[in-house]
Amino acid sequence: MGLFNYWVAVVLIMTGLYVVVSHANLMKKVLGLNMFQAAVFILYISAGKLAGGTAPILDDRFTQYSNPLPHVLILTAIVVGVATTALALALVIRIHLAYGTVEEDEIDAKDSEPS
Amino acid sequence: MGHHLVLRVICKLLVPLILLFALYVQFHGDFGPGGGFQAGVLFGAGFILYGTVFGLGHFRSVVRPALLRTVAACGLLLYLLVGVAGILLGGNYLDYSVLRENPASGQHLGIFLVELGVGLTVAAVMISLFYAFADRRFRE
Repeated sequence: MGLFNYWVAVVLIMTGLYVVVSHANLMKKVLGLNMFQAAVFILYISAGKLAGGTAPILDDRFTQYSNPLPHVLILTAIVVGVATTALALALVIRIHLAYGTVEEDEIDAKDSEPS
Repeated sequence: MGHHLVLRVICKLLVPLILLFALYVQFHGDFGPGGGFQAGVLFGAGFILYGTVFGLGHFRSVVRPALLRTVAACGLLLYLLVGVAGILLGGNYLDYSVLRENPASGQHLGIFLVELGVGLTVAAVMISLFYAFADRRFRE
């Protein structure tokens, strides 16, 4: 099962994308994007694991380490993802205050009716 | 208390454990998964759990928003001061090796202080985000 991690990442990416595309509720779209993001993290970190490698912390008992660079990169990406999710949720709250709903079709209807 | 009794009892049992685990994750960043950001989020999550269960009025008396802004700024200030200390002791900005006689223990001290600053700032920002979202009153 050499490609198992890639299959997991693909399934999660497609699930997240489907949630974004198919649901009209803004909160569900935000959650779908989060799922997409988690799948990308899984893809990167699983690609950094070497066969027989241990955690990338120096120790005299081990000679083979996993690649630490994806770990550092994905840690930064997780922080960025948290900030982006916070901003998206703030926007959803503001939309709810302005329109009274978070369903995208109702918002479109309210926008296109002649004021 | 009524039907919130179970929630409140479990919250009072769990919050100290969450905060303790956050401190553990903070100080074991050198030797295992952990570090400033993860510990800050865990610390913030413990407080947010308390705020969600016990209500905003109670939460505001425990954690004041002005204190949060000060703590966030102090975390960043600690990071900057570690960098400046590197300059004052003869090295470059954020050079950890000159902080102590032994470069290895200088690295340990530098990373420890920097992660502490990051943890403080992240915890304060997480709780401030909770305040910013939870403080709104929805007018229908």
